[in-house]
Amino acid sequence: MAAAARSQVMSLYRTMLRESAKFPSYNYRNYALRRVRDAFKANRNVEDPKAVERLMEEGRQTLALIQRQDLTVIVPSTLTLKHRVK
Amino acid sequence: MAARVLQQCVRSFARPSLRLCSNNLALRVTAAPAAAVHRPLSFAADSRRTRWLVQSRIPSVGVLCRQYGDLPPLTLETIKERVMYVLKLYDKINPEKLQTSSHFMKDLGLDSLDQVEIIMAMEDEFGFEIPDAEAEKLMTPEEIVQYVADKKDVYE
Repeated sequence: MAAAARSQVMSLYRTMLRESAKFPSYNYRNYALRRVRDAFKANRNVEDPKAVERLMEEGRQTLALIQRQDLTVIVPSTLTLKHRVK
Repeated sequence: MAARVLQQCVRSFARPSLRLCSNNLALRVTAAPAAAVHRPLSFAADSRRTRWLVQSRIPSVGVLCRQYGDLPPLTLETIKERVMYVLKLYDKINPEKLQTSSHFMKDLGLDSLDQVEIIMAMEDEFGFEIPDAEAEKLMTPEEIVQYVADKKDVYE
């Protein structure tokens, strides 16, 4: 694996773990953490650059998904606040 | 970690109770003379309670003064202890093999993903972020201790 790709994978792993840790609910949080760890462990031996790139893209999309789901818990109250201000 | 949580609990306990005490005290002081005119008996009970409140305030003043900087001061020794403690609790490390100089990958058989997790655990323990570029280089407990000490301005 190229050095650049390697550090990208590591940084994606860190970001995903960090975002997963933000779930307020214990069940979701631990599921997300376990799922992220397992997915990275399962693909640790992938060498083919194309496969790595495909997995990275999948990871980025999952990261976006995690971030959206973290937000859903916060957004309703802020939305209602905005409505009240208007 | 556990100590920190405990301290937080104690602090959050101490603060509202202090506020409660002083509020109660003010209330009692204004209420007491009125009660004294009509019911001398209840006044006695009231004043006793007031005195008790005054006494109970003395230790909580100490709590008030200690709301900041109440963690034990960081020294190289305490940093090392906390680092080793976190590492011992990590399920993939065999606590018996763990030495301050052992290399995570060569000696403890971890992979780079585990190393990332260890660094994240250290971030949680010491409460600051370690940038990716520097996190990659931290491969032994010794190096982590040295890095944390540098960041927290701890010297011998």
